[in-house]
Amino acid sequence: MSEAKREEPKKSPDAGLWLDQHGDYLFKYATFRLRDSAAAEDAVQETFLAALKAYENFQGRGSERTWLVGILKHKITDHFRRMARETPIGEPEDEGPEHAEFFTRTDGWDNHWNTDYAPTEWHATPAQLVERGDFWRVFNDCLTPLPQRTAAAFTLREVDGLGSDEICEMLGISVNNLWVMLHRARLHLRNCLHLNWFGKQH
Amino acid sequence: MGWYDKTKHAVRFWLLRKLPPCKETVMTISQSFERRLSPRERVLLKLHLWVCMWCQWYMEHLQIMRNTLHETGTDIPELDSPSTPGLTSEARERIKQQLVADKK
Repeated sequence: MSEAKREEPKKSPDAGLWLDQHGDYLFKYATFRLRDSAAAEDAVQETFLAALKAYENFQGRGSERTWLVGILKHKITDHFRRMARETPIGEPEDEGPEHAEFFTRTDGWDNHWNTDYAPTEWHATPAQLVERGDFWRVFNDCLTPLPQRTAAAFTLREVDGLGSDEICEMLGISVNNLWVMLHRARLHLRNCLHLNWFGKQH
Repeated sequence: MGWYDKTKHAVRFWLLRKLPPCKETVMTISQSFERRLSPRERVLLKLHLWVCMWCQWYMEHLQIMRNTLHETGTDIPELDSPSTPGLTSEARERIKQQLVADKK
């Protein structure tokens, strides 16, 4: 199917067809990253406009979807930069929930895991969950309670694999802010994934 | 329990009291994903993990999360399913208009 497409590269792309084939996917991906559907709509629109301009450079190399997602990622980081300029980092609670209850005990072992929250073995593997087509929904739900900037820091680090310097510059935070945010995000997400999935017998 | 197990148990408990507690250790575990730990931090973490199954699991789970997110990346078949809402028809129409206007 894709080979047939490659044999006859279209001179000018059909933007309506793009919108039908990739619009929802891009929108859902952008919503997951930006946590704001109005901003996600804007990002999708900007992506298509940029794609129309840059179509000559694409020329059917690789999949259209991957190419469009690549452009969308740039629009997403542009959004994060704008957001960082408009709302500078404020109070420590902006970094996310501390989850002090995870380490509160009354038996003389304070600051060690409270057995109600302590990690235990995971019964399901994420690969199984990905196969079931549920991983992103569960992960997305778990990400929702986190402050926007903390969620952004986490996904830039763990989904995009960006380095600390780049993320700090993008979000207008210090490396210490970043480490606290990543730590809190991990503490929260691991617990949430555990409760909703991996800790359960399926 | 034989004397060996008893001794091992006692050593583990003693260590857990002496070492930085879990609350600090989970922070160190997260930092170990971000930077090279100092030799002292590395030794303390290793010892803590040796005596604390919970923190061992914690570290393992973080690694699993990281690998899964990295591997699935941006190719997420789930997002093609209609079970989660996509663009509203208004948004779709608005984008279409913009694209047409841009072409002209």
